[in-house]
Amino acid sequence: MFNVLNIVLLLVFVLIFPGALFTSAVGLWLAGVDRKVLARMQHRIGPPIRQPLYDFLKLMGKETIIPHAANKTVYLGAPIVGFVSLAMIMLFIPVGGFVAVSGSADLVVILYLITIPGVALIVGGSSSGSPYAGIGISREMVTMMAYELPFVLVLLAVARKVGGANLVFSMESIAAWQAANGSLLFHWSMIPAAIAMLLVIPAEVGTQPFDVAEAETEICEGPLVEYSGAPLGLFKLNTAMKMFVMTGLFTALFMGGLRTGIVVLDVVIFVVICTVLTILSMTTIHAVTARLKIEHLFKFYWTFVAGMALLSLVLVWFGL
Amino acid sequence: MIIVNYIASVFLIVLGLYTVCTKKNLIKIVLGLGITDYGINLLIVSIGFNPGGTAPVYYLADLLNGVAPNFFVDPVPQALTLTSIVIGACVDAMALALVIMINRKYKSVDADEIRRLNG
Amino acid sequence: MIQHFPVMAVMLLFLGAFLVAIFGRISPVIRDGIAILIATISLVLIYALIKPVMIDGQIISYWMGNWEPVEGYAIGIGYEVDALGLFFALLVVTTFWLSGIYSLGYLKKDANKMHYYTLYLMLSASVLGLVLTGDLFNMFIMIEIMTFASVALTAFRNKQAIALEAAFKYLVLGSIGSSMTLAGVALMYRVCHTLNMAQISSIIGGEFNLTTIMAFGLIVAGLGVKSYIVPFHTPAADAYTAAPTSISMIFSGMVNKAGVYGIIRMVYVVFRAMDRSSIQILLVVFGAVTMFIGVTMALAQHDFKRLLAFHSISQIGYVITAIGLGTALGLNAGLFHAMNHTLFKGLLFLTAGAVLTATGTTNLDKLGGLSKRMPVTTVCFLVGAFSISGLPPFNGFASKWMVYQAIYTKAVESGNILFAIATITALIVSVMTLASFIKVTQAVFFGQENPENANAKEVPVIMQIPMVIMAVLCVLTGLFYNVVEKFLLAPAAGAALGVSNYIDKMMGAGYAKAAGITDIEAAPAAFSFWNPLVWLLLFVVVFLGVYIVMATSKSTRGRMLEGGEGYDPKYATFFSGEQEEFSQVGGSDLFWGFKTDWKGYYKVLQGLHSGIVTDYASYIVMGAAIIILVMFICLR
Repeated sequence: MFNVLNIVLLLVFVLIFPGALFTSAVGLWLAGVDRKVLARMQHRIGPPIRQPLYDFLKLMGKETIIPHAANKTVYLGAPIVGFVSLAMIMLFIPVGGFVAVSGSADLVVILYLITIPGVALIVGGSSSGSPYAGIGISREMVTMMAYELPFVLVLLAVARKVGGANLVFSMESIAAWQAANGSLLFHWSMIPAAIAMLLVIPAEVGTQPFDVAEAETEICEGPLVEYSGAPLGLFKLNTAMKMFVMTGLFTALFMGGLRTGIVVLDVVIFVVICTVLTILSMTTIHAVTARLKIEHLFKFYWTFVAGMALLSLVLVWFGL
Repeated sequence: MIIVNYIASVFLIVLGLYTVCTKKNLIKIVLGLGITDYGINLLIVSIGFNPGGTAPVYYLADLLNGVAPNFFVDPVPQALTLTSIVIGACVDAMALALVIMINRKYKSVDADEIRRLNG
Repeated sequence: MIQHFPVMAVMLLFLGAFLVAIFGRISPVIRDGIAILIATISLVLIYALIKPVMIDGQIISYWMGNWEPVEGYAIGIGYEVDALGLFFALLVVTTFWLSGIYSLGYLKKDANKMHYYTLYLMLSASVLGLVLTGDLFNMFIMIEIMTFASVALTAFRNKQAIALEAAFKYLVLGSIGSSMTLAGVALMYRVCHTLNMAQISSIIGGEFNLTTIMAFGLIVAGLGVKSYIVPFHTPAADAYTAAPTSISMIFSGMVNKAGVYGIIRMVYVVFRAMDRSSIQILLVVFGAVTMFIGVTMALAQHDFKRLLAFHSISQIGYVITAIGLGTALGLNAGLFHAMNHTLFKGLLFLTAGAVLTATGTTNLDKLGGLSKRMPVTTVCFLVGAFSISGLPPFNGFASKWMVYQAIYTKAVESGNILFAIATITALIVSVMTLASFIKVTQAVFFGQENPENANAKEVPVIMQIPMVIMAVLCVLTGLFYNVVEKFLLAPAAGAALGVSNYIDKMMGAGYAKAAGITDIEAAPAAFSFWNPLVWLLLFVVVFLGVYIVMATSKSTRGRMLEGGEGYDPKYATFFSGEQEEFSQVGGSDLFWGFKTDWKGYYKVLQGLHSGIVTDYASYIVMGAAIIILVMFICLR
């Protein structure tokens, strides 16, 4: 457990692949693709795909202003907490055939680790002391509650489908089951759950129409209103990383069986699937809808999306 | 008849609970608690009762040799009852003390008006 | 020697209560000294039992006045300490000791401190006695003393009207619970002619007749009132709010744990009903309802302590659900969560007390921005809040994870959809818990600073010490989860399942076998596990790395600018070009988007929590009636 080599290996995992560096790179790529495709859908030329990277680098070079009302430590620490936990989540998700840590990968761990970036955003926004941020964090939290129910239902449906007496929530057994029985997406009883999961992704990432928490036009980016410079850049990076983490989770849960056996090729396929998912779940929905109100968002997730996931769970429960 | 005791005790318990659940006057609520207590005391005493039994004051040798009558009233429930009576008295005293203080603060002993902690 | 420790610990506390009452008048130092000294001795005596009971697996028995069983009948009062009892005793001593230290600073402005310490020691003694005794009637007596002391302490600040109100409600509702327990105990005596729990367990042998069903129902309902499961929870919400905070901590840390202990002892050891699926479903349903109603009510609160009170109720729901599964994993999970709840809820109550001391209010709409004035309290609060919300790597995460795994394993194994619903409820309640602590975080510690609290300052060191100890314990039990599991949970769960040892120790070897008692066969608690320590280490390393890179880089990556003294619009909060002013988003307004969708639900639920004592009494009677009815239907 406390082997030095192990720690160093883990550190490499967290920092480079599939952690911080890889996740940010792919995340920024996905964010760029999102913006480009959205622009094309709206008959605009749109920015280059590298644009999110430029934005990030530019923000890192700007002044960081700490407002009077803010609690400095929390204000600066929050984006980093979000960043590090996002980098760590990727270790639990099998990227293609590559599993960074075996044995401890578990759906409940992922479920809770994914809430940490959200909590970091909330606590950071709250610590800035702005009333706009106050409204923003309230919306962020309600959004979190909204998508949590369908998310949980999807995870339980997957766990039930895959079965296994003791390791019900194990990510490994999900991958193994899919390798043996084909991807979960191709089992018709799981299709409603997959649709629900596709709808959970944009809410978790916070893209339109589910960006009520950051609604620029009403509450000036909500939790981020006071942020500037490097912390703001990190928060933007976190959003991009979330895109990859969530689409990656979808891929691992529902399309885990697609393997060629060559790790590099698998990783490339994984990223391609994530890109397709990004376009499908975020860009398309963004292009055709307007921002929801928070109470509508909540209702939508607890009725329609949760209903879809529940349908899957019930079907799976009776062995279909 | 011992069965009468059981019926009476259940009646008292139910009456007490009914009082607590329906009467709005705090004093009456305290009375209800008392009645429940008496019902339970009656129940315990009845459990230990043996028709025709005597007080359990014998030498052990008498009991073992069969000199003494081998049925007597079970002393344990009586001890329990005594304890329970004492506790019941304490409950009543404390509750009434609180009612007096509540009356000073709220100028009322109506349960409907003593509800600042709600929701 | 060692067999005297449990009874000494209890009796010393009772003795201490009288000593404080007699000698406390002489000087404050003597009064506080006696109280803390006695509490410390008691703490040491109970901790000394860890090695023999938890590690060596002994069971310690003690007969009061040496009245050992005569001809196979246990007439005397016996104390019996097995791993289960000791597990709860450890929670109890830890809680009251920390609470005692905290009270030294917390009660600065209160009069009648002598009464406080007398009652405090009385309460501690009764709860400790409750978890260590092996006698049913003795348990009832301890419950009564506990109720009395709790009521008196709730009314301790009797200048406040709400304290009196809460105390009266607690007394009435608590007495109904005690009465039910007493009636149940009396019926058990009718059947078994003994009050010793070990002997009762072997006499009834897990079989039920009409009388024992009635007794079982009454006792479980009575103990349910003491552990505040819905619908018996109403006095808890009021009492936790009105009592001094050090006492609220005792209530949530040990008084309702005593009820939980009682339920575990009854259903697993005395009545041995946990292999019946009907009882499992009964407990799981009550637990799931409790956690859901508790947390939704907490979301609607606008008082810090009342919010915490509803969370206490909600977390007990987790515990009851987990122990209601009847599996070794479930028991482990339930006990672990009970322990963690003692730690993090105690911590949260202490921070609420600190806020009350510093500002004089716990109203969430009147606070804000305290994090700069009270850094230690803020850090402790955040640790507690993250623990209760189950964020890794804090202890709440480990125990909640076990709970989910236990329930869902049970659901998959039994195929019963009720357990699946309970899993979903548990997971959703967790995120709602997070939401309501975000609300407190924003309304009390972050957000804008309320000008009214401009001269608030950090609480004295004597109050910080217990908070820091508890915060550290919250982190440690989350990280060294395996140690806790191995030395505390596994023995305690084993004691609850292995009944025959418990009986044999009390009644003589071979007694259980002669009565045909067999232990519940349970698969060992197996579950997948991550190593939080490695992850935390990684997290800290990477966090520090990034933080240092960010904070030290001056030339190339942009400067960090901080406002000095005096007003400078550059560092003012953004107000669309207007002058800065106090406009905190208060606690009550925070989750508008959520509450508006739940309007109907909240209308009904808040209407039910009407504050009228007769309503509450009828919920208790109805709840007890449901429990008894279900038991009659299922156990006959």
